[in-house]
Amino acid sequence: MDYRAAFQISASGMALEKTRLDVTSMNLANVHSTQGADGKLFRPMRVVAQEATAAFGATFETLSGTTLKGVRIASIEEVGAAPRSVYEPGHPQADDKGFVAYPAVDQVSEMVNVMTAVRAYEANVVAMNAAKAMSVKALEIGGQS
Amino acid sequence: MTPIETSTVGAVALALDAALLRHQAIAANIANVNTAGYQPVRVSFEEHLGAQAPRLERVEGEAKVELDVEVAHLSANTVHYQALLRGLNKQFSILGTAINEGKR
Repeated sequence: MDYRAAFQISASGMALEKTRLDVTSMNLANVHSTQGADGKLFRPMRVVAQEATAAFGATFETLSGTTLKGVRIASIEEVGAAPRSVYEPGHPQADDKGFVAYPAVDQVSEMVNVMTAVRAYEANVVAMNAAKAMSVKALEIGGQS
Repeated sequence: MTPIETSTVGAVALALDAALLRHQAIAANIANVNTAGYQPVRVSFEEHLGAQAPRLERVEGEAKVELDVEVAHLSANTVHYQALLRGLNKQFSILGTAINEGKR
């Protein structure tokens, strides 16, 4: 059986959690942006994860590491929350009533996202280190012990 | 079945494959810890007393990935794998004794 598949599964998990952290950092960095890159209001984003396809019920002869593939990013979608309106008459982006639209970034849920992403990343690292320990031990079969 | 390839070696090799597949299943569960609607996977092998090849199964029902449980399974599986390897090494060292001690 191919022991490298375990590394790839954990690597996919780490890549996903890193993307989640990137997107959350982007949301937090733009909490006071009144304009996005396209000139419109910045919209907070969310990573939607999806299991990478796998076949089930098969025995391990046909499960040669290519079927369990871990996780992949399905999409990065905008959060459909309404923008915050703040009364700032002197602001250059203010409308005729003096309100400025700020992105609907929820700092509390973004911080929770940071924490869960970091913890999930750590768990993937633990799984990868276990795979490494197992592989190193397997390479010692038949050696002097 | 040769003197070197005994039933012990075959059984331990099957159990090692099962442990490696279980590791992959746990790693996939951990990778999908934040995936909405993901159902964890398990490997069944010891229940069949090693008579069948290890089988990958989807947990039915409203199950979700519990990160601490998965990491605990991961640690247990790693130790189990290393114990199997120690047994296999012992088997080969017995063979080595049989080969080397005769020439003295």
